[in-house]
Amino acid sequence: MIRVRRGAAIAATAVIASLVLAACGGSDGGTAEEGAAAEGTAESAPAEESAEAGGAGQPGGTLTILTSAEQFLTLDPQVVYTGEDLAFLGATIQRSLTAYQVAEGDVEGTTLVPDMATDTGTASEGGKVWSFTLRDGITWEDGAPVTCADVAYGTSRQFDIGLAEGGPVYAVTYLDIPTNEDGSSQYLGPVDGTGQDLFDKAVTCSDDNKTITFMLNQPVPDFNYSVTLGFSPVPAGMVTGEEYANKPMSNGPYKIQEYTKGPGGNLTLVRNENWSKDSDPYRLALPDSWVVNFGIEETVGEQRVMQSSGEDAYAMVQSLTTASLPVVFEDAQYESRRIDAFDAYTIYAAINTEKVPDEKVRQAIGVALDREALLLNAGGTFGGDYADGAVKPNIGIDYAPTGLWDDLLGAPVPPNGDPELAKKLLAEAGASDLTITLDYGQSEDNDKAAAIWVESLARAGITVKPNPIERGQYYGVVFDNPNEVMLGGWGADWPNASTVLPPLFVQGWNLSRVNDEAYAEKVKVASQELDRQKQAELWHELSKEAAKKMWIVPTRFGRDQRLAGTNVGPIFSWSAYGSYPYPNMYAVQ
Amino acid sequence: MGAYVLRRVLIMLLLLLLLSFAVFVLFSLLPADVARLTCGKICTDQTIELNRIRLGLDKSVFEQYWLFLSAIFVGRTYGVGEGAVVCEAPCLGWSFTKSEPVLELILDRLPTTIFLALGAFVLFLIGGVLLGIYSALRRGGWQDKAITGVALVGYSLPSFFFGLVVIYFVIIRWQILPFPRYEHPWDDPVQFVQTMILPWLVLAILYAAFYTRLTRSQMLETLGDDYIRTARAKGLPERTVIGKHALRAGLTPIVTAAGLDLAGLLGGAIILEAIFSLPGLGSLAISSVTNPDQSILVGVTLITATFVIIANLVVDILYAYIDPRVRAS
Repeated sequence: MIRVRRGAAIAATAVIASLVLAACGGSDGGTAEEGAAAEGTAESAPAEESAEAGGAGQPGGTLTILTSAEQFLTLDPQVVYTGEDLAFLGATIQRSLTAYQVAEGDVEGTTLVPDMATDTGTASEGGKVWSFTLRDGITWEDGAPVTCADVAYGTSRQFDIGLAEGGPVYAVTYLDIPTNEDGSSQYLGPVDGTGQDLFDKAVTCSDDNKTITFMLNQPVPDFNYSVTLGFSPVPAGMVTGEEYANKPMSNGPYKIQEYTKGPGGNLTLVRNENWSKDSDPYRLALPDSWVVNFGIEETVGEQRVMQSSGEDAYAMVQSLTTASLPVVFEDAQYESRRIDAFDAYTIYAAINTEKVPDEKVRQAIGVALDREALLLNAGGTFGGDYADGAVKPNIGIDYAPTGLWDDLLGAPVPPNGDPELAKKLLAEAGASDLTITLDYGQSEDNDKAAAIWVESLARAGITVKPNPIERGQYYGVVFDNPNEVMLGGWGADWPNASTVLPPLFVQGWNLSRVNDEAYAEKVKVASQELDRQKQAELWHELSKEAAKKMWIVPTRFGRDQRLAGTNVGPIFSWSAYGSYPYPNMYAVQ
Repeated sequence: MGAYVLRRVLIMLLLLLLLSFAVFVLFSLLPADVARLTCGKICTDQTIELNRIRLGLDKSVFEQYWLFLSAIFVGRTYGVGEGAVVCEAPCLGWSFTKSEPVLELILDRLPTTIFLALGAFVLFLIGGVLLGIYSALRRGGWQDKAITGVALVGYSLPSFFFGLVVIYFVIIRWQILPFPRYEHPWDDPVQFVQTMILPWLVLAILYAAFYTRLTRSQMLETLGDDYIRTARAKGLPERTVIGKHALRAGLTPIVTAAGLDLAGLLGGAIILEAIFSLPGLGSLAISSVTNPDQSILVGVTLITATFVIIANLVVDILYAYIDPRVRAS
């Protein structure tokens, strides 16, 4: 499950922004070890090697992030859920049981490696029980040891409905804790305390307080991936509440020195003297400090990094405005410090199956759409590639071309749409004078996209009524009162289609209101399949089926671009999060 | 004069009441389900409903408005039990996205906006009026043409463009000043001036252009009047003729415009606050739109509107001072 980033950083980012981990796997099975992981101790790349793979740098100095956001959405380890924030905070102050190798390349950059745990987890009982043992010498910033009880306590906070912002709830989904009739858990988190005994049965610690065991309600072959989200430790019994979101206890190489929100504010991280490199072979942690400057207007931020004068040589921006893209990508001086890579998201239009129940009508909508114009509107090649389904190629072995626009619908569909084929499909469905309403979060780009929808579907005789909704309210509105079509976006939580197809078409982020029991059953089977290769094949079929039924019209596999100063390294997109490779970054001395 | 002021104050209070009702109703009509947006991480229908009750959204708009209004005088408690939050009087609402009283958030941002507005106001008013007078006195000369031309350019410049150009050259390229990082003047006066000098100048140039043109046209109009000729014929010094007779007569529209401009700036110079990373009311309003928080939006809108109403009052009183005929009417 993911949540929506509202506002985007002032950076006004986030039109749709689901917050997630970028599952940027390669096409040849970057997650092949997971099958072994489900049956026993997983093989994993040595962490030391993974660190080196990111490129060696010099220790010292300060790296600065310039962002138009006014603050982090949260620093609470149980609530953090945006790819960039997970990558940054995970690299600096919040360790987790497992993590992703810091390396260039889709396969290497999404390979699971141990972080606080000694390995990537041990599964038993067919993937229904998972155990992780903590390394020696891991401490909090106050010097106290990080124990199994701390990990359990952190995990238990996922059940706390008092936490103001939404975060990942995989513990709620997977732990073997009874639920009420309405599906809610009988455990209400450590503050309320109701059902604590149920949690204590599902999550246990060894006598030496080093090994944590999770009892699950179903086989979850990729549970060791899910522990990268919301399973980070919190000092056991600490009364945290919402305040913890502003100053969490660090167990990483840095700690918070200052956190001032708003324009002109900053988050300053300095070295945590109680962090031991011996207990953490995963991170290089080279800079002496990190500074995140808030409220920097986007254009100003990128101009500073482009100029790269003085301290700005050590600065970086996490996105570029459309106006700057041609300059940055056509000028050779920026070649070594710019990034253009897949982001986490598949951009699509969800078709409400309750209002458009006929498959052929849905197909007609998809076929008539001018996806070429939409891509151009999104920035052309900078905006992304044509999408053929919900699952994105950079997820790894779970992606296979669906053939949606080739022959899946009986004939090739050109990027600018095929009005005649759409009319034929509508005639077969017996539909005439079709009128649909298009919901979208209002922005300049989305207004233009809506105009493209109106124009291109009109060619097939379909009338589109645009319904712009204030962006911050968008998902609140469309989940309650959806019209026929809604623009949206989705990214995988980890490199497995289990974090794409089930939430989009069964439960979680089911904007299309799909209620297909047969499909849901097949999804369940695939989710619990222990043979990773076989699981991938099941996902291929399910992705194809979803594409053909046109529950969503996939329009674009998104890309993003970023730029760093001349004295920042290494510069590449960390596929796991579609972010900078924060754990291994350095300031050139 | 006293009765006049009293009458205006009473009208202002009535206006504020009507305005607060209009703003409250307007925002409550937005199609956003605040109960869903703030219901927490595990959002079931039940928790949304409980949250709706906690926020008082289960009540009619009129009841909600009454609660909002009474909270200004007696405070308000949101929710019950452990999860309850208390908003002390004067309470302008509670921000559930920032977990702080709205008034506190506004007061936190207000000094920046006040300093920005007042600094720019002084610069553009003095600069604009003086240049306008000078231009009028040199009518037709090269000085007049130069000032009128520059004023026209300044008047035409969009603030976001001009602000960015200034940042690019002064800060990024020439590095004459460090990048703005706001500090209150009592914490770090040097940093304060370094941060504010550019926004002040940008605002002053943009606004002064208008006042230069306005003052020039007013002065030209009055300088041609008979009473000015009479004053000169009586042998009054030129300074007295200009300052006491010509300028005062042309002051009324300048005072009107200045009052409204100051009120507008006190509501937040949204674009410039964003460009210069200033934590003011404008940026607070923007962040409350992008990260939806209706309570803050209602609060900021009300405060801004209050500034405008007060500015109108002050302008009206100044009118009465400048022109006794207003008092009589």
